[in-house]
Amino acid sequence: MRPANPAWRLLTVALVLLIGAGLYWATIKVNYQWRWDRVPEYLLITGGEDVLSPVDGTVAVQGKQITLTPLLGGEPQTFPEIDVVQVSDGEIVFANNTLGKKSGVTPGPLLVGLWVTLQISAWSLVFALILGLIAGLGRVSANPAARDMAAIYVELIRGTPLLVQMFIVYFFLGTVLNLSGFVAGVAALSVFTGAYVAEIIRSGIEGVAKGQMEAARSLGMSHWQAMRHIVLPQAFRRSLPPLAGQSINLIKDSSLVSIMALTDLTKAGREIVASTFSPFEVWFTVALMYLLLTGLLSIYVRKLEKKMAHD
Amino acid sequence: MTKTIAPDAEVLIDAREVSKRYPNGTQALTKVSLQVRRGEVVCIVGPSGSGKSTLLRTINAMESISSGEVTMDGISVHHPKTNLNEVRTHAGMVFQQFNLFPHKTALENVMLAPMQVLKMPVEEARERAGKLLEKVGLAEKAQSRPSQLSGGQQQRVAIARALAMQPRVMLFDEPTSALDPEKVGEVLEVMKQLALEGMTMVVVTHEMGFARAVANRVVFMDGGELVYQDAPEAFFSNAQHERLRSFLGQVLPH
Ligand SMILES: Nc1ncnc2c1ncn2[C@@H]1O[C@H](COP(=O)(O)OP(=O)(O)OP(=O)(O)O)[C@@H](O)[C@H]1O
Ligand SMILES: [Mg+2]
Repeated sequence: MRPANPAWRLLTVALVLLIGAGLYWATIKVNYQWRWDRVPEYLLITGGEDVLSPVDGTVAVQGKQITLTPLLGGEPQTFPEIDVVQVSDGEIVFANNTLGKKSGVTPGPLLVGLWVTLQISAWSLVFALILGLIAGLGRVSANPAARDMAAIYVELIRGTPLLVQMFIVYFFLGTVLNLSGFVAGVAALSVFTGAYVAEIIRSGIEGVAKGQMEAARSLGMSHWQAMRHIVLPQAFRRSLPPLAGQSINLIKDSSLVSIMALTDLTKAGREIVASTFSPFEVWFTVALMYLLLTGLLSIYVRKLEKKMAHD
Repeated sequence: MTKTIAPDAEVLIDAREVSKRYPNGTQALTKVSLQVRRGEVVCIVGPSGSGKSTLLRTINAMESISSGEVTMDGISVHHPKTNLNEVRTHAGMVFQQFNLFPHKTALENVMLAPMQVLKMPVEEARERAGKLLEKVGLAEKAQSRPSQLSGGQQQRVAIARALAMQPRVMLFDEPTSALDPEKVGEVLEVMKQLALEGMTMVVVTHEMGFARAVANRVVFMDGGELVYQDAPEAFFSNAQHERLRSFLGQVLPH
């Protein structure tokens, strides 16, 4: 490819700036108050965390440690490492009074949500790969029953919206089997993504030259040995780019679990927006955090591909 | 040059009246009978589509048959109770397109089947593979991937890979047809060596020079039938047989 004229780059920058300015102008028109200064505290809480008294009781202070003896009887509770003690020895406190503050940095709601999103995505990816591998092998199996079962699974899942599947899993299966939001979310996402993984694996297997299976079988290997040692490793290599794309979709699709009683990144954003008046800042920040996850993943996969191309 | 085999050598492969019809209706073989004795080298020649590959592939059950019977060492290859994986360990196959495993090194290509199928310990498999690569003249390429080898080198690795199972017969399906002309000789040389060591071989080939020099018997197929077979001298000087004469007229230099 010929190196493009750098003027095109300038045009890109100019267009992006123009669109940004247009958005800004539009928010001014509706008198939007930009409060970007509020955003950091949704990510990290630096002001320290209040430690509240769970019950009515008498406090004893020893340095940084507070011991609370409930007025209504029961085991005394200790609160170690309180950095700023705000009660004095012998004082009587009531439930939800502030005992003191812990200094230091704690993750804010968006970071906590990001962590939940990461966990859901990681677990779902593992199960989706297992499910997809089984269903993909089923698709190319010589056994008609296995072929049909795999085909039904793939068509059912790919033919219905993920959101509807989520509702079914959460409100129906979730209630019947008493699943937690996390388990229900991982289940729905794995089953959904697994259908797409199955198709990727199937086309990867079909893309491996027929001669490979023949050569392996001619050496006396069983069908399964040939699959495991010859066909699947090559199919996996071919499938890596589309699998990476599917993993990125999985991370984005995971935002739908926010319909379940589960505070992922999207739900965290919604909760903050509900209690503040900064929807634009919060949603832009949330979008950026998703972009960070997906971006890191695609960089990693590109590296992996390069490494595999070399050996 | 042609090695001689004892006239009373036992029959290793016996194909009797084998017919093969593909599911799409193509009649690829019609009542083909072929016997191969232990230590014999049989070359199969014939025009494209005459059923040479199909016949070769029925010997190790890579292709099923519609009627007839094939036995190897007395075992009926296509009998429903026959363990195909076991039968195939006794027949090494070499393909026109090499079909090496691209994700493994030359050495690993040769080691894999003995380890997986015969459950041979790694060390023993490596030693055997090393010796075989040496035999085909590629000891120094043991760690190369197929993509780093020339066609001729790949085909020699493929031969070593088939030999690693210590087969009783080697089946070659146009082993040099996909090669650049200057690489053909090195592969034929390895095959000739193998023949001289007493390996039983069935070779589908267009290399008439090889057939003339190495084969004990040459078989002519046309239209799914085995039309004529004879010792090389008689085969290539035959003037009687009409179809054979016209085929040889096309493939031999005038
Ligand atoms: N898998 C298949 N399904 C249907 N027909 C086939 C199949 N394989 C081969 N045939 C047909 O069977 C006939 C014999 O084919 P075969 O490959 O055995 O011929 P060949 O002598 O090896 O030819 P070539 O020299 O081109 O390799 C041909 O008409 C071919 O088109
Ligand atoms: Mg052929």
